[in-house]
Amino acid sequence: MNVDNVKSQMRKGMLEYCILLLLHQEASYASDIIQKLKEARLIVVEGTLYPLLTRLKNDGLLSYEWVESTQGPPRKYYRLTELGERILSELETAWDELSDTVNHLRQKFLTVL
Amino acid sequence: MKKTLTVNLAGSVYHIDEDAYVLLDNYLNNLRYHFRKDDGAEEIVRDMEARIAELFTEYIREGKQVITIENVEAVISRMGKPEDLNGNADGKEGEDEGEERASRRLFRNPDDRVLGGVASGLAAYFGWDVVWVRIVLIVAGLWIHGLLLAYLIAWIIIPMARTATEKLQMCGKPINVSSIGKTVTDGFEQDGEPTGDEKSRSRMHRVGDAVVAVVGFLLKLFLILVAICFAPVLLIGLVVLFALLMAATGMLISIPAVFYEALPYVDWGMIGTSSGTAVAIAVCGLLAVGIPAVGLLQLVMQGLGTWKPMSLTVKMVLVLLWLVSVAVGTVFLLQAPFIEYSYFM
Repeated sequence: MNVDNVKSQMRKGMLEYCILLLLHQEASYASDIIQKLKEARLIVVEGTLYPLLTRLKNDGLLSYEWVESTQGPPRKYYRLTELGERILSELETAWDELSDTVNHLRQKFLTVL
Repeated sequence: MKKTLTVNLAGSVYHIDEDAYVLLDNYLNNLRYHFRKDDGAEEIVRDMEARIAELFTEYIREGKQVITIENVEAVISRMGKPEDLNGNADGKEGEDEGEERASRRLFRNPDDRVLGGVASGLAAYFGWDVVWVRIVLIVAGLWIHGLLLAYLIAWIIIPMARTATEKLQMCGKPINVSSIGKTVTDGFEQDGEPTGDEKSRSRMHRVGDAVVAVVGFLLKLFLILVAICFAPVLLIGLVVLFALLMAATGMLISIPAVFYEALPYVDWGMIGTSSGTAVAIAVCGLLAVGIPAVGLLQLVMQGLGTWKPMSLTVKMVLVLLWLVSVAVGTVFLLQAPFIEYSYFM
């Protein structure tokens, strides 16, 4: 079994949920999101984010608007659409259930720690 | 001392070292290729370009004037190599790289040309040395007067290999991220410092290309006009062709009559026959002649790069159909004498 592979699979599954979570509070542009995800140690290379953002946008979960920037090219500010909010709350429940299950199992079988 | 270039990334201008430019161009091309199956491929790469521009701006703000290859390397390791990124929703990325078959197509070669790049393209297609192709063409051209015309027609018909993908297809190399990157780099190296001779030659190329484009356009127009004017004639021609084909089939049918005459002791009626035999023979004859004809046409058009290669299934079905039609046709042809025989009864 490749541990790194499993880890990256775990991260991958969470990533979309976390992007939605970040955008729930405020509209932000790619570099902000990258910054936050890096702080949370969720992504290693920045390029991972771009295909995800484009896909979420094409699926109607996100929308964006161009905002001029004083320092460099204009920025795409992403925000959640109504559909995005709805899916976020669904994922919220799913995550709660998942973490409950995992925590339950951990408490039951990881008593050594 | 290093030469620098000016690039426009997401609307901002940056000075960049030549080697850094090659690396960046290579990287962006690889990204474009990696995401080619995603829905918003162009958008993803454009957004990543914007991010790269932003990172460059940070370097510039640190007091540097020129983007160096170290900067580009840092940016690439920060953004991630194409193989580290996941695209293509299903997550089966990585495996499909380099899977595309190395199919050869005939193109004119823009990187190595004296006139239209036809000789060079032919050489790449057949894997010959271009110098020999040119020598043979010139020597043969002295004796065969139609060759010059043939060259011009080839110049008009054969498309120029413009993209990295087409250049790889021209040489029959597999298309994948690394080979595309290599082509991009190679092309860049070849463009370096044009000499006076090359300058005058590239002017000649431009004039030649313009003339060929105009002549090609006029030729197409002419062909369309001819087609419109002669549409009824063409239809009649088609009918005549069909009739001739039927006549030829009839001739083929009559051949076994000779066998019948020659071998009167064979009981031909043993095989049995029906009124549909003649129709069956005609259909088999059409297929037996038509399938190779279509195959030949496909071969020519595919060589010119105009038609797409047939799928294996279609090929198999056609070959099978041809074999069956030949076999069935032969059996029916052997029965044919009985038809004539029954007429006289």
